[in-house]
Amino acid sequence: MPVYERGYTHWESTGGRTYPPWWVIARRGITEPLRSRWFLLLLVLAWIPAVVKGTIIYVKARTGNLLDLLGGGWASLSGDGVLAFIEGQRFFVFLLMAIVGARLIAMDRRDNGLALYFSRPLGMFDYIAGKTLIVLFYYLCVTLFPVYALCVFGYLVSAGTTGVNTLVVIPLQTTLFCLFAGVGMSLVLLAFSSVGKRTIFITVWWTILFMGSEAISALFAAGGFNWLEFLNFAGQYHNAGSLLLGTEPRLDIPPVVSMFLTLLYAVLALLILRRFVRPVEVVS
Amino acid sequence: MDSSRDNVNRTDQGQTDTRIVVDDLTFAYLRDPVLQGVSFTLQKNAIGLLGPNGSGKTTLLRALLGHLRVPPGKVSVLGLDMAREARSVRARLGWMPERGGVIEGMSGVALVAYMGELAGMPTRDAMQRAHEVLHYVGLADERYRPCQTYSQGMRQRLKLATALVHDPQWLLLDEPTSGLDPKGRVAILELVGDLAGHKGFGVILSTHLLADVEAVCREILVLREGKLLAHQSVTADTARRQVFEVEGFGPEEAFLTALRAEAVSVERDGRLILVTLDCGGDSDDEVAGGEGRTSEDGVGQDDHLRTAAGARRILAVAQRTDYAPRRLRRRPISLADTFYELIDTNESR
Repeated sequence: MPVYERGYTHWESTGGRTYPPWWVIARRGITEPLRSRWFLLLLVLAWIPAVVKGTIIYVKARTGNLLDLLGGGWASLSGDGVLAFIEGQRFFVFLLMAIVGARLIAMDRRDNGLALYFSRPLGMFDYIAGKTLIVLFYYLCVTLFPVYALCVFGYLVSAGTTGVNTLVVIPLQTTLFCLFAGVGMSLVLLAFSSVGKRTIFITVWWTILFMGSEAISALFAAGGFNWLEFLNFAGQYHNAGSLLLGTEPRLDIPPVVSMFLTLLYAVLALLILRRFVRPVEVVS
Repeated sequence: MDSSRDNVNRTDQGQTDTRIVVDDLTFAYLRDPVLQGVSFTLQKNAIGLLGPNGSGKTTLLRALLGHLRVPPGKVSVLGLDMAREARSVRARLGWMPERGGVIEGMSGVALVAYMGELAGMPTRDAMQRAHEVLHYVGLADERYRPCQTYSQGMRQRLKLATALVHDPQWLLLDEPTSGLDPKGRVAILELVGDLAGHKGFGVILSTHLLADVEAVCREILVLREGKLLAHQSVTADTARRQVFEVEGFGPEEAFLTALRAEAVSVERDGRLILVTLDCGGDSDDEVAGGEGRTSEDGVGQDDHLRTAAGARRILAVAQRTDYAPRRLRRRPISLADTFYELIDTNESR
């Protein structure tokens, strides 16, 4: 029996809810890595620092200020403590973003997926926004969400004595910072992903940018060339974050300069994405 | 959430213009023009897009999809200008790319449902449709397997399913039988033929395999070096002229002389005399939608009548010249004959 005799019926909509394409792309991209046990394990590991910090907060709340030395600023729920916690998470940020983000556009380019996406009623904004949300979500998973949890936990264990600062101000400031840094880093990673078709090379470049730039900048700083700290990619975000969280600068360069640099990264990333995210590849 | 794409459902559209109109389209990727002054109007039908490699077939399909920036008024699909309303048109077009087009890491059903949702279908509808169309294309048993484990034939069917999931008005198929074994090729062509012939889809089949077009298409667009050489029905040449093989005995020179007065051309092919007769058929009428009467075996009854009339003309000449034919047979004109004649004629200009 020819296959077509199995029948074909035209589609009649049930009138259900439809979602914008960027949301469909983001939802699928966010749920896909969660099928891997290793990835879930990594997420659990990424929350261990938050659990440790929560434990310290709990013990401090029970024993007064006796344990202030334990954990220092890192263990507090001040702006400084939150930024220190997020800085401490940068290894997990690097790893999760590399695992999730490096392949996002590269695989689509390799499989001619861009033409497939753009044969649907969606535009470049939908595509890039959807992909950015995927990376951003996992960035927030190991930075913002633990801070939220710690703020609520800290408020509860202090029986409300920390007031609105822990429950409102710090979460708001952290949200602002994490969205700023998360979107910026996500765009840069996606720009990397869009220029190549092999995930391994993109991961290598991301490693050089994220970890290598920090190492190089630390070497220069050790040699007295502190002004070369502008080479530190991730450090720029944290330094700029000191403006948003009202803390001391993280680097020896003004936070405003870091803010400008991070915005420049984002603009460059968008220009690269605009160049490479196309349904039709132009080859000379 | 996004009402602009809610009208994907064909029953809601209330739209009457189902044509594709291209008007004097010229396009260049860099400096060299890939399409030059291409103009045509397509009614919903099975249309073969033919041309040698690099003739602009894929570029033309991409222009129809709105992937290329073209000036307003040059490409209109379903009555909408692709320069302005490409996104809403794409909700009603199904696209099957030649290479790639399968996102690895997803199961077949997940990929098709995902594509349905991206086309603006509700989540539940998309999943239900994904199962239906995968069943239709013959992948029901393999739908939960990861795409990367699919064979080439299964991948082609999967791509057809992703093109079909949102129930588009037109299907744009780029080399759908590329890399398939004969059995897989027949299966895909059967599906395409069924979609165009019985399910009301307009189909544009871009290929350089003439047999594929001959099997399922009713019209052809022939491109060469970015120019449209012809837009005619597949059977236009059959309707326009007939070639008969004649063999016999008697006063052959007199027979040939008399034939030359009747026929378009008379040639020798070994022992055979090849007589080409002008039937007076009008290919433009056929493109405009005339389907002719068709017998059960799929051959037009008009065609049988034309063959009989042609044979009678030759026999009348033979009778007048006392030539005794012992063989009189109509030689079929294949699409390949038509295609190469078009290409050669263009080359010689």
